[in-house]
Amino acid sequence: MTWLYQAITAGVIFLIGWNLFRERRLVEQMSAALVLLPLILRVLMIK
Amino acid sequence: MKRHPEGWGNRITAVSLLLIVGIVLTVASHDFLVMHVAPPIYPGPGVTESFLLGDIVPNISGTAADTTVYVLEGDKEGGTVLLLGGTHPNEPASSLTAITLIETARVTEGRLLVIPRANRSAFTCSEPQEGYPLVYEIETPSGPRTFRYGSRGTNPVHQWPDPIIYVNTSGQSLAGTETRNLNRSYPGDPNGFLTERLANAIITMITLEHVDMAIDLHEASPEYPVINAIVAHERALPIAVEASMYLEFEGMQIGVETSPQNLRGLSHREWGDFTDTLALLAESANPAQGRLRGQTNADLIVYGVDSYYVKAAKNGLLYVPFTQEGHPIDERVGRHLQMVSMLLEIYNTTTDDRKVVSTDIPTLSAVIDRGLGAFLAPPQDAEL
Repeated sequence: MTWLYQAITAGVIFLIGWNLFRERRLVEQMSAALVLLPLILRVLMIK
Repeated sequence: MKRHPEGWGNRITAVSLLLIVGIVLTVASHDFLVMHVAPPIYPGPGVTESFLLGDIVPNISGTAADTTVYVLEGDKEGGTVLLLGGTHPNEPASSLTAITLIETARVTEGRLLVIPRANRSAFTCSEPQEGYPLVYEIETPSGPRTFRYGSRGTNPVHQWPDPIIYVNTSGQSLAGTETRNLNRSYPGDPNGFLTERLANAIITMITLEHVDMAIDLHEASPEYPVINAIVAHERALPIAVEASMYLEFEGMQIGVETSPQNLRGLSHREWGDFTDTLALLAESANPAQGRLRGQTNADLIVYGVDSYYVKAAKNGLLYVPFTQEGHPIDERVGRHLQMVSMLLEIYNTTTDDRKVVSTDIPTLSAVIDRGLGAFLAPPQDAEL
């Protein structure tokens, strides 16, 4: 199951990253960057 | 910079934010990864051998659950007693008691198997939203020794995701997070979650090593009813009762609880039901675990002083006395050591050829008088 959840997490990271570059409101970009942090830590299995 | 009609964000801000994310990730990763480095344990003169649990139960070999078993064996043949510390790494007196025995005790007859970090994975993470310090220090005459304050459950990095409802291998329904709780996972499953595999490995070791008596060391919050107590499987109840009586004669208040028949998955129940061992679990009072605690820091773990608990005790909300002196780690480890010593003594009266005789186990009064650090090996390298 773990690989499936990692794949889902990686997908969400890609979508948020994509959104980060398309977004024109700075506050929304900052929110996206904050959300990326725990997701990247988890997909790399660091935290 | 020209403002886009919708806001100030653009590709440059996006790249800048990604750079900031990278910097924060680097710093945070270091803090999380360093948790995987275990503080050293220095085996004392009584340790005759050590091996990995995975050496005898290959199912967990090479996983984050594999853990070291220290053997203290006497010259004279006898029985085998298992002492488990660190089932819950947020209950520090448990692993510290095991470490003290490894570094101090000797065995003249029989074998003492000691596992100081039963759930090794749980030492590599902290409990979310609790504000626990990652480490605490015990002062020894030669300088401070550093120890990890871990989590109640296996690191999610090693076992993820949690189910919504966890039905353990004994059929008990529990909250999903309990799937990472070693002391809800017995008797375990060789093909189950990592924690269940660890539980199965411990049960298998108890059987293969012919463990006559097994003691699982814990701590509890002061507002939890089962505290300063021994919980015993019914076959181990006579030993627990007699030990508690003698401990009371010596001035150490300790209760005895019978392991509930319908509370499944716990060591004192499943070890006793699935093996021939005499299964026991012991609790001391750890204010750092409680919900009524104030500031949570390393001092609370080591000195156990908390004014909110003093107030709670005055209002009759606790199951242990709580004064300005608190419940320092010296007292909590000392209690466990004195109890282990007494359990061995009483157990030895029940057998002729399966005795386990241990010497040099520090007493409660000695640990309180001299401090726990006096019984730990001096730090040998820069720790952590």
